[in-house]
Amino acid sequence: MATAELQAEALLTVREESYLLIVWRRFRRHRVALMGAVILLAFILIAALAPWIAPYDPYAQNLLLKNAGPSPAHWLGTDELGRDVLSRLIYAARISLAVAFVVTLISQTTGALIGAISGYFGGWVDNLIQRVVDFMLTLPLLPLLLTISALLSDVTIPGLTREWSSVVIIILVLSVFGWMGSARLVRGVVLSLREQTFTEAARALGMSDLQIVIRHMIPNAMAPIIVSATLSLGTVIILEAALSFLGFGVQPPVPTWGNMLNNAQADMWTQPFKAIIPGFCIFLTSLSFNFVGDGLRDALDPRLKR
Amino acid sequence: MVNYLIRRLFQMMVVILLSSMAIYAIMNLAPGGPLSGINLGADRKSRLSPEEIRRIEEFLGLHRPLHWRYIVWLLGEDWLDEVGLKSLQRTSCREIATECTRGVIRFDFGDSWRLAAGQKVIDLIWFRLPNTLLLMTSATLLSLLVAIPIGIYSAVRQYSLLDYAATTFAFFGTAMPVFWFGLMMIFIFSGPRSPWHQVLGLPYLPTGNNFSLRPPQPGSLLYVLGATPGSPLDRAVHLILPTIVLSLLYMAGWSRYTRSSMLEVLRQDYVRTARAKGLVERVVIMKHALRNALIPIVTILTLEIPGIFSGAVITETIFNYKGMGRLYYDALQADDWPVVMALLFITSLLVVFANLLADILYTIVDPRIRLE
Repeated sequence: MATAELQAEALLTVREESYLLIVWRRFRRHRVALMGAVILLAFILIAALAPWIAPYDPYAQNLLLKNAGPSPAHWLGTDELGRDVLSRLIYAARISLAVAFVVTLISQTTGALIGAISGYFGGWVDNLIQRVVDFMLTLPLLPLLLTISALLSDVTIPGLTREWSSVVIIILVLSVFGWMGSARLVRGVVLSLREQTFTEAARALGMSDLQIVIRHMIPNAMAPIIVSATLSLGTVIILEAALSFLGFGVQPPVPTWGNMLNNAQADMWTQPFKAIIPGFCIFLTSLSFNFVGDGLRDALDPRLKR
Repeated sequence: MVNYLIRRLFQMMVVILLSSMAIYAIMNLAPGGPLSGINLGADRKSRLSPEEIRRIEEFLGLHRPLHWRYIVWLLGEDWLDEVGLKSLQRTSCREIATECTRGVIRFDFGDSWRLAAGQKVIDLIWFRLPNTLLLMTSATLLSLLVAIPIGIYSAVRQYSLLDYAATTFAFFGTAMPVFWFGLMMIFIFSGPRSPWHQVLGLPYLPTGNNFSLRPPQPGSLLYVLGATPGSPLDRAVHLILPTIVLSLLYMAGWSRYTRSSMLEVLRQDYVRTARAKGLVERVVIMKHALRNALIPIVTILTLEIPGIFSGAVITETIFNYKGMGRLYYDALQADDWPVVMALLFITSLLVVFANLLADILYTIVDPRIRLE
């Protein structure tokens, strides 16, 4: 009796914790995820502050100093046109991360919307959308991405130079083929939410279908969306790098880690660090996104744990 | 089952038709077109006149309207004469009947434009196919041989040190950019300038290709083994690095699948029963648990077949390995559309059949599942 009273009293005085605080506490326990987050933060800072950090203009050529090794003036040496490798590496972080974030934003948002519509309305809408998703998943992703970017490599978007057009085109191509996963995910969540009482209540209150989808379905599906978006960032980084590495992605002189790696191939044995570093950046960011995604999965919803 | 198969085959045909349309549309609706760059960089003398370009178009069959190009690509052009559409045939087909293409549906993908101009695309593919199959098989075997034992061990000793190591390895494997990993493997192990040879003094591996053209140099592994150029041993040595690189990603994924599937099975009652009967732990795990745990693995494996094929594009390109992946890359570089479309089409066929195979295998390994 006495203990029960004590506990009840203790419960009253316990501070209520916000959801975000709980998530943060759970996330913090995941050491590797925390490390991944720190690494990503560092990369994002470097990318954001590139103009102030980079010692040189990444496009400035110095034809008198081609393929130079490391020196106090150029820490990582220069490339085949005499451009400072370190500066290009810093600016490449900008492009690679920006492409990854924009692609993920576009593909996950459209995916979530399509999935929510598919799950909420059901019937022939759902059927049609699911067949489209099935079909798009049967298409071989990498060969198709390569083909489309190769075909569009000569296209210039009005107002942009050829190489910046290639950035926009890569973003579009990767977005078009990246929404299916999140559509599936959100559809699943919405299918189960649709039958719950609060949806019925919302409908009784006179909310329109679109309002219900946007105000109730998508926010409730947010946890899995965030996890899948984080994991997708890692995938997009690798895909963009692969395309750029093979010469069908972002075109030089715009630096990305992928096309820098392609450039460094020729001198691999004489100046290995020029090939090791850009690749390691790709690996490290992708790995960090994976770790953070895993940590978020555990932190946002313990039931999601694999 | 028969009913199910008939329905499935019908669905598959629809999907294949749709993907053939998608592939064709992607290739042909893109701005530019195959001849757009033909006068680029040409000086006044070598510049082609519109008349000449028209002749090339008629030679390649590009003079047909878009929908006819698709129909001909799919069904061939040999029957066009009979329905009074001779003008739609290519020049060579009009003159010699045996030169007519017979369409993708009859496995005729036409002639290559640039890579091996005039050669049949299907011959190019037949020539490359064994190499890719060899690489795919060795990579699949290697990844299974590594992944399944790791998966079993991680499940049986969950949260042990090795389980954590395997988890970390899986993360590294999925995050690793294949092209960089490949380059690093070449850098470390291949060629006389590699640290493997220079620092450790160990015999170095070949940097690429499927077999050597010249007798091996002293210091190389080929020399140590005494492999003659073109011999099976020579080919096997050339296969080592591409196999390791290609299998890494699958190793990571499959060890995870085995682990989670095994964990699930180990929780089942019949496993407890087997233990209660006093069976040796090894028998419980290998005989009772593993057999059931492998059921989902079989399907995942089947579904990965097309993925391995397309994953080989990067690996084969880096190692200059003359398989279908490298063919694909070369065809893209050379704008050789018939080859590109043929490979895309074959890949989508593979995907569709792998899906069917996975479903059928599922009923075989797990008799509880019936296809309705």
